Amino acid sequence: MSRSSAPPVVAPTGVSARRRSQGSLQVGREVGVLRGLLWASPWLVGFIAFMAVPVGMSLYYSFTDYNLVQRPVFIGLENYERMITDDLFWKAVGNTVLYAAMSIPLCTVAALVIASLLNKPIMGVSIYRAAVFLPTLVPAVASAMVWLWLYNGDLGLINRILRPMLEPLGVTPPNWIGLRGSGDKFWAMPALVFMSVWSVGQSVVIYLAAMRDVPAALYEAAALDGMGPVAKFRHVTLPAISPVILFSVITSIINSSQIFGAPYIMTQGGPDRATYVYSMYLYDAAFVYDALGMGYASAMAWVQLVVIVLLTVLTLVMSRSLVYYRAA
Amino acid sequence: MPTARTVMQWTRRGVLGALAAGGAGLVLAGPRRAHDAPSDRVVIDYWEKWTQDEGRAMQNVVDRFNASQSRIFVRYFSISDIDRKASIAIAGGSPPDIVGLWNFNVPGYATSGAIQPLGDLFDSGTLRMDDYAPAVRRLMMHRGTPYALVNTCGTVGLYYNRKLFKEAGLDPRRPPRTIAELDEYAAKLAIIEPSGRIERAGFVHTEPGWWTWFWGQYFGGDLYDQPTDRSTASSAINTLAYEWVATYPQRYGVKNLVALQAGLGNYGSGQNAFLSGRVAMVLQGPWLANVIARYAPSLDYAVAAPPVDESIYRADEPISLLDSDVLMLPSGCPHPRESMEFLAFTQRPDVVEYLSTVHCKNSPLLRASDEFLANHPNRSVSVHGELAASPRAFIFPRTPAWPMFRDEMEAGFHRIWRLEDSPASVLKKVDVRMQQALDVSRRRLERRRAATGGVS
Repeated sequence: MSRSSAPPVVAPTGVSARRRSQGSLQVGREVGVLRGLLWASPWLVGFIAFMAVPVGMSLYYSFTDYNLVQRPVFIGLENYERMITDDLFWKAVGNTVLYAAMSIPLCTVAALVIASLLNKPIMGVSIYRAAVFLPTLVPAVASAMVWLWLYNGDLGLINRILRPMLEPLGVTPPNWIGLRGSGDKFWAMPALVFMSVWSVGQSVVIYLAAMRDVPAALYEAAALDGMGPVAKFRHVTLPAISPVILFSVITSIINSSQIFGAPYIMTQGGPDRATYVYSMYLYDAAFVYDALGMGYASAMAWVQLVVIVLLTVLTLVMSRSLVYYRAA
Repeated sequence: MPTARTVMQWTRRGVLGALAAGGAGLVLAGPRRAHDAPSDRVVIDYWEKWTQDEGRAMQNVVDRFNASQSRIFVRYFSISDIDRKASIAIAGGSPPDIVGLWNFNVPGYATSGAIQPLGDLFDSGTLRMDDYAPAVRRLMMHRGTPYALVNTCGTVGLYYNRKLFKEAGLDPRRPPRTIAELDEYAAKLAIIEPSGRIERAGFVHTEPGWWTWFWGQYFGGDLYDQPTDRSTASSAINTLAYEWVATYPQRYGVKNLVALQAGLGNYGSGQNAFLSGRVAMVLQGPWLANVIARYAPSLDYAVAAPPVDESIYRADEPISLLDSDVLMLPSGCPHPRESMEFLAFTQRPDVVEYLSTVHCKNSPLLRASDEFLANHPNRSVSVHGELAASPRAFIFPRTPAWPMFRDEMEAGFHRIWRLEDSPASVLKKVDVRMQQALDVSRRRLERRRAATGGVS
């Protein structure tokens, strides 16, 4: 805010002068508030037009029968009631929970391990760091296409590596993703989860920054106590970076609850809806399935929001005894 | 010697100068709008999904129309994800004048009032319904009112590899006509290794696997009864059809069929199952000829009517799916009269045949010119034309719930194909779920009618 917004202070000489002074202070404050709002208005207008109003409208639509073209008709809780008896809704919920349950621990552990390796003073470490971060810069569609080929049952690199190892044991490598529903129902979801590790670069960078911030004195004290590298990682590094891990886990919960791109591009939810996740069903309800419509999709979106908020609060509460906050 | 401050100033000036020069260059010589419309004409915006060769062909049609008169100017826009964008644009009150979608969009768009009826074109005599093939007439209509026009369409025929027929001791002039013959031919054409690995399949339902819902039609069944708005997925005939589908994984083994499919390449490539000779017979549309011409020009193939159950076989009335793109007029489009003029132009036989030739599809019109048949890239286009003209040609079920129906059938098909559930059980589940969706749709439609005083 501009310094010139502060009103000139006049020395009070009596009651009227005090009142005048209070009045000019009041006006000055209002001007200041107005100026502040003016400067913040680009964001405020954007927030109101593109966030607050649509979110409010979606809440209203969730209680309506709305097909985008015609006026919404109020139907009360029917959309929410329908969810309870909708098998496909529960299938999508189950798949999303499965994805999150596999992806969050795997990605967290992978990012921690990679970050601690990259925290070592080895030659060319900058190159390794760049290499780990690079996949996060690749557009989702491009990386999905690459992984489609890597997972190709017959020609894919993964099965070309696995085949000589597994076939002598009488085991055929799975047709991970498959084309046109030919994929392996059991392996399709793990394949998507494994693929998510490809883009842990962002978490690695955050963990790395946190690890470099751990006071060296703690490691020196741990060394004096006779701790080895594993004990140091467990008793020094992990507690010291635990707030960052918590942040990363919460963002992972939010992201994995909203997973859409990879299954949409790679499997279209198949085979046999084994990878049909919540956001895909929400999208189909809104734009593909006329029998459901935007009202049902809005209700799904609100349920998703409430569940994510609840999971976040639950994680924060559960983490109280696990996360160590250093005094500033 | 320049100081650090001077160097910084020069660098800053240089960067700013370069940015200004770049901006000026963009303004003067940068990209221009592709459609500079003449100011003295009514401008029609036409959204279409076609790109590349198909898009260029439609652009040629647009150019011909623009050159044919001086009152209307059509601008062609190629739009991805067009059905979503069109519905959002219509809902937002800013629709294009014309939109090119798929025929299964017609019931949903018509029911929700997103498109306008085109009855005027027929009532005024500009177009005649009798000029179109019977199945095309059905897909242009929704509950008795024309809502869409068709300028290209494709029927699904049985493509078979004549060379492989000869190798297997089969007569390439006598393709299978019935389901029993199809099974017999498929068995003769298949090459199965002792391990069970399928070196070559005679026929598999998953290649290309685009229409997992339509097998009941070849036994005389249907998935949906429009007059009663009932799902008929689990009818005895459909169950019989999918029991036949299940005989393939039972015979060849699920693992072997999945492995066969895993080794096949993309449709538009030389590794296409039919082009590479891994599958000897496939059900496909006329556009396959374009793929063959590009990736396997020496392939010796022929086309026949799809085989059907013996009890319903009639040589003069083949059964085939007719699929098409459609042109529609969105509700609230700015220039309906001028748009109809352009729509009528696209239905001229010469325009229809030009577009059908470039798109490698058959004509939606009942009569095709000799020139069209002679110059078409698919040498069997007349077979596809006969399939379209058959009174037993079928189209996508006419319900707004069709996309959900299709996905339910797709998921169910794969359960049957993997022998995870019996056809009767799978189809029963599809029936229950679809009937629920149909009932909810009907209830909501009635409620909407009541809320709007019957206008819906």
